[in-house]
Amino acid sequence: MKVTVNGLKQYVDFDWTVEELTERLTMLGLEVEGVETVGGGYDGIVVAEVLESKPHPDADKLSVCQVADGQGTRQIVCGAKNFKVGDKVPMILPGSSLPAKPGEKPFTIKVGKLRGVESCGMMCSGSELGVTEDSDGLMILDANATVGQPFAEYLGCAEQDVVLDLEVTPNRPDYNSVIGIAREIAALTGNPLKWPEVDPAEKGEAVESLVSVRIDDAEKCPRYQARVIKGVKIGPSPNWLKQALEKVGVRSISNVVDVTNFVMLEIGQPLHAFDLNLLKKSGNNLPTVVVRTASDKEPFTTLDDQSHELDSEMLLIADETQGIALAGVMGGLNTEINDQTTDVLLESACFHPGNIRRTSKLLELRTDASYRFERGADVEICDWASRRAAQLILATAGGTLCQGVVDVYPGKTEPQTIALRYAKTDALLGISIPAEEQKRLLESIELKCVESDATSCKVQIPTYRVDLKREIDLIEEVTRLYGVDRIPSTPPRGAHGSNEFDSEHDQLMEARQLLTSMGLFETQGQTLIAESDAKRVANDCVALEYPLSSDMNVLRPSLLPGLLDVLRHNVNHRNTDVAVFEVGRVFLPDENQTRESRRVAIAWTGSRQLVFWKGGAKAEKVDVFDLKGLVDTFLDTFGIRGFSWRTETCEQNEFFVEKASLCLGKNVLGTIGQLMPLIARDYDIKDSVFMAELDLERLVAMRVSSRSFKALPAYPSVRRDIAMLVDETTTHADVNQAVKKAKINQLDSVEVFDIFRGKNVPEGKKSVAYTFVYRDPETTLTDNQVNKAHDQLVQHLQKALGAEMR
Amino acid sequence: MSGMLDQIDPLTEEALQALQAAGNLSDLDAARVKYLGVNGQFTALLKQMGSLPKDQRPEAGKRINIAKNKLEGLLAKQKEVLELAACLPTEPTDFTLPGRRPQLGKLHPLTQVTEDIVRSFRKIGFVVADGPEVEDEYHCFDALNTPADHPARDSQDTFYINTPNRPLLRTHTSSVQIRVMENQPPPIRIIVPGRVYRRDTADATHNPTFHQIEGLYVDRNVTLGDMKGTVEFVFKELLGKDVKLRFRPHYFSYTEPSLEIDFSSALTRKMGKEWLEIAGCGMVHPKVFENVGYNPEEWTGWAFGFGIERIAMIRYGINDIRLFYENDLRFLNQF
Repeated sequence: MKVTVNGLKQYVDFDWTVEELTERLTMLGLEVEGVETVGGGYDGIVVAEVLESKPHPDADKLSVCQVADGQGTRQIVCGAKNFKVGDKVPMILPGSSLPAKPGEKPFTIKVGKLRGVESCGMMCSGSELGVTEDSDGLMILDANATVGQPFAEYLGCAEQDVVLDLEVTPNRPDYNSVIGIAREIAALTGNPLKWPEVDPAEKGEAVESLVSVRIDDAEKCPRYQARVIKGVKIGPSPNWLKQALEKVGVRSISNVVDVTNFVMLEIGQPLHAFDLNLLKKSGNNLPTVVVRTASDKEPFTTLDDQSHELDSEMLLIADETQGIALAGVMGGLNTEINDQTTDVLLESACFHPGNIRRTSKLLELRTDASYRFERGADVEICDWASRRAAQLILATAGGTLCQGVVDVYPGKTEPQTIALRYAKTDALLGISIPAEEQKRLLESIELKCVESDATSCKVQIPTYRVDLKREIDLIEEVTRLYGVDRIPSTPPRGAHGSNEFDSEHDQLMEARQLLTSMGLFETQGQTLIAESDAKRVANDCVALEYPLSSDMNVLRPSLLPGLLDVLRHNVNHRNTDVAVFEVGRVFLPDENQTRESRRVAIAWTGSRQLVFWKGGAKAEKVDVFDLKGLVDTFLDTFGIRGFSWRTETCEQNEFFVEKASLCLGKNVLGTIGQLMPLIARDYDIKDSVFMAELDLERLVAMRVSSRSFKALPAYPSVRRDIAMLVDETTTHADVNQAVKKAKINQLDSVEVFDIFRGKNVPEGKKSVAYTFVYRDPETTLTDNQVNKAHDQLVQHLQKALGAEMR
Repeated sequence: MSGMLDQIDPLTEEALQALQAAGNLSDLDAARVKYLGVNGQFTALLKQMGSLPKDQRPEAGKRINIAKNKLEGLLAKQKEVLELAACLPTEPTDFTLPGRRPQLGKLHPLTQVTEDIVRSFRKIGFVVADGPEVEDEYHCFDALNTPADHPARDSQDTFYINTPNRPLLRTHTSSVQIRVMENQPPPIRIIVPGRVYRRDTADATHNPTFHQIEGLYVDRNVTLGDMKGTVEFVFKELLGKDVKLRFRPHYFSYTEPSLEIDFSSALTRKMGKEWLEIAGCGMVHPKVFENVGYNPEEWTGWAFGFGIERIAMIRYGINDIRLFYENDLRFLNQF
C-alpha cells in the first residue's frame, strides 16, 4: 500500500518528520518498506517568453535572444530553431542546475560567452528537463502560461511529497486506505480524524426510476448500492487528481474512472462505474443490475479486452441479458466508461472475500479491487464511498446526481461487541497498564465503549476491523498502541522442558561429530529430487502432487542420489577427492502413508590422502576397505555391538556393482559397496566411488552406550604367524569361524595380515596370512604351551578349511 | 715364544687406533672383526697363550686382559658415539616446507548454526523436540488458526504429496508445537530445529527446502516481557553482545499479539541497514490452546521462529542460499 505524507495530512494533523512518521508507523505494525521523495525540483527554472531573436554575428547555427523572465529581460544565446518570438519556454537561470539523471552530476548553468556573445541562462528542451522524451528543440509551453512562474508550478507538481510504501499484514484490510492509516495516526497523536465533507446535491429523477438491483446470491454479495449521475462529460482528470493517483503508481484514465480509483485509495472501498446506457434491458423494464453466479463456462470479456470462461461459483454483475462486470475483480468491456458516456451507474458493493479470491486466482486476474475484497472490505462504508465518489464526479465531470440510492443490503448485521478484562492484559504483558489507560487506547481507534466497570470494558467493533474477534485481539490493540518497546524484557525464567527427542538430537550430533573426526565433510542435500535419480535406488517413492519441476518431483527415498550430486558438483569444480556424508531424513511410501526415517550416508572417491610433496603413497586411490574400515570404526565407536557384513549379489543394472549388507541379529541396517561405474560416469566421476547408507534411527535405538573397564594384561603374549593356501571361495569370515570352532583357550586375538594370489599359488586358490596372539591372563605361557595350542589350531584349520600350510 | 708377549702392546696399540679411526658404525664393526672377531688378530694372539711356558702364562694373561678391557671399553664408547651420530639428520630440514596435514572433516555450516542456537536455548532450560516433515493440513494449518482460505494452503505455495489423503510438506516448524502440546501436558519448553518446504523456485534467497527453528514456552503466568527477555538473551548469544533488538507489531494467525523482530549491529550497518528483520514471535493464540485442549485462562505462552539459513547468511556474509545445498568442499571447508 502506497500513501503520500501530504495525502495523509489532509486527513489528520501531525508534525512529525518523515523519519518519525516512518518509525511510528513501523512500531504500530505498519512496516514502512520504502520511502521515496517525489515532485518538487526544477529550482531556478521559470516560464520565459522569447521577445526577440536575431542571428548570432559569428555563428550560423546560433541565435541571440532577448527573453522576459518575469523580473526583467535577459540575453540568451540559443542553438534551437523550433521557436518563434512570442513563444513561452522553460528557462533555467544562471547558478541553477538541470535535473540530474540517475548517476550523473547535475549540470549547473553559468553566465558566459558563446562565440563572443554573452548568454545569461539557458532555454531548455523537454528531455533536458526530464519532462518529455523530446530533445528536438525547445519545449514550447502553453501560450497562456504566466511569464516568471516557477516551472514546477507550471507543471502542477510544485509541492514536494514523500511516498511511503507500507507492508499491510493480511489481518488489517482497513490499512489499505489513506483514511485507515490516518485513523491510526489520529490515535497516536490524539488529533481528530478529518473526514472530508460529503454532501453532493441531488437533483431531478429518482434513481429508482432509472435502475433496479436484484441480488440472487446474498451470501456472496451482502450489499449492493447503485447511484446514477447523468449528463457527465468524460475527459481528462484535473491535475490534483491525476497526481494523487500517479504518485502512488495508479495510471490516470479519465475523470470518472479516476474518481472511483481515488475513493478506493482514500477509504478502501472499490467502486465501479458503468455506462448506464450500455446496460441492456428486457422489454420495457428498467435496466436491472443482477448479482448472480455465472453459469458454467459462461464467457465474459473484461475491460482489459481479455476473454474468460467462468464457472458456476464465480459471482457476476449482469444486466438481464449478459454479464457486465466480474464482481469485485474487474468491469466488463461491454459497459465500460468511454468518451461518449453521459450517464454513469456507480456501483458500491461488498462481496464475500473467499469467493473473490477464488475467482481472481482461477482467472489469474489480480486487481486493486480484488486485493481489497479478498481481505475483507467494510460493508458499512459502501454508502459513504458512493456519495464521496458522486460528489467528486460532479466536481470533475459535471452532470447531475439523481435523487436517492438503490441500496440492497441483505447482509446487515448488528455490530459486534467484545469485552476486555484489564487484568488479562496485564497478566499477558507482564506489566500493569491502568484501566483508564487501556480504555482510552481502545477508544482512540474508534472502538466505542458500551459498558465499563473498574475491571473490564465492553467495546463495539466497527465493521472495518474484521480482525477483532475476541478478547486477545483487544489485548493486542492495547499492546500495539501502548508500544511494544515500552514493555520491559524479563530475564529467562521458569520450567525446565522435557521431550523424548532431546537425547536423540544429541545422538545424531554425536554421529555427525564422529564422522567429521574421521575426515568426512558434512553435506546437506535437497529433500526434493528427480524421480529418475530416485529410481536408481528405490522402486517406489513419494511423489509430489504439483512439483516445481521434474528435477524435484519426489521426496528422496535415500540419501545416496543427493551425495552423487555432491560428488558431481565437486568433481566438476576440479575437486576429485571427495569424502562426504549426510545425516538426514528419507521418505518411503507405506500403503498410502509416508514413512520418514533418518539415515546416514557416506560417499568417498578420489585419493585416499591429501596430496603431499614427499613419499610414495601420494596418488593412492581410496578403495572399498577404506570405506569399510571407516564404517566399522564408526559403528564400534557409536556403540553398535555384534554386527556383521553379508556379501550380497548384485544384479546387472544395480546401483552397486559390489555390495554387502550390515546385519545385526535378524536386522539389516544398511548397505555398503562400490557404485556401478556406469552410473559414476553419468555423474562425470572418473574414479571409483564407494558408498554406504545406514539406518541411523535404528542404530540409535540399538546403541550400547555402557562401557566397562577390562584390566590391562599382566602377562606377556606370544605371537605366531601362519600362511596357508585356501580355496578362493573361503572368506575371512570362514577363517574366523574355523578359528572360533577350534576353541583354543589361550588364543587372545587373530588378525589377517596378507592375502596373496599369483606366483606359486595355484589357480582357484589364494594364500592368506594370519597372526595369532596367545596369552594366559593368569600366567606367562611357556614355548611348549604355545606350540601345543598353535599346533592344535593349525590342525583344525587344515581339517575345517582344507587349508595347506606354506 | 717370548715374541708373543712382545706382540701384545703393538697389536693393542694398532687395534685402539683402528677403533678410534672408525668414522661410522660399519667401519667400527669391521675393526672389531679384524681384531676382536673369532678370527681376529687379537683373538689369535689369545689362542697362542696355551703354547707359552707355564711360568709366563700369568704375566701374559694379565697383560692380555688389560689390553682386551681397553679395547672393549673403547669399542663400547665408540659405538655409543657413532650410534648417536647416526641418529642425527643427514641433511638440514627446511622448516618452510609444508607439513603433512591430517584431513579434518567439518560439520555443515547449517548444522553448526543450529547447534549454536540449540546450545543457547538449552542454557535456559529448553529441550529439543521433533516432528514429521510430511504433515497433515490439520497440524500445519488448521490447529494453528490459519484461516480456511489462507493463500499459504494453496498448492501454488505448498507442496502436497500425491496420495489419496493428500498430506503436505510442512511449511514451518510450528506444526511441531501442536504435536508436542497434543502429547504432553503443560508446562512446555521446547525448541524445534528442522527442514521446512515452500514452493519457491531456487534463487539467491530461496530454496524449496530450508531450515527453521521454533521455540515454544507454555506455563502459568508467562508474559510478553518474558518472551522479549528470552529472545534478547538468545540473540545476544548468537550475534554478539552489541546486538540491538527491536520488536514491532505484526500478524501471524497462531500468535496474538504477534511481533516481528529486527536486529541492529555492526553487521547490519555494514550491510547498509539500520534494522534487519530476523524472526517472528508472539503470545500463543488462545484458539491454538483450545485446539490442543489447554485452558487459555490457565496457561499462557509464547512461540518464536526464524530461518537458520538467514542467520547463517548474516553471520558469515553468505550471499546465496544455494551454496548451502551445493556442498562444494571449498565452501564447506570455510566453517
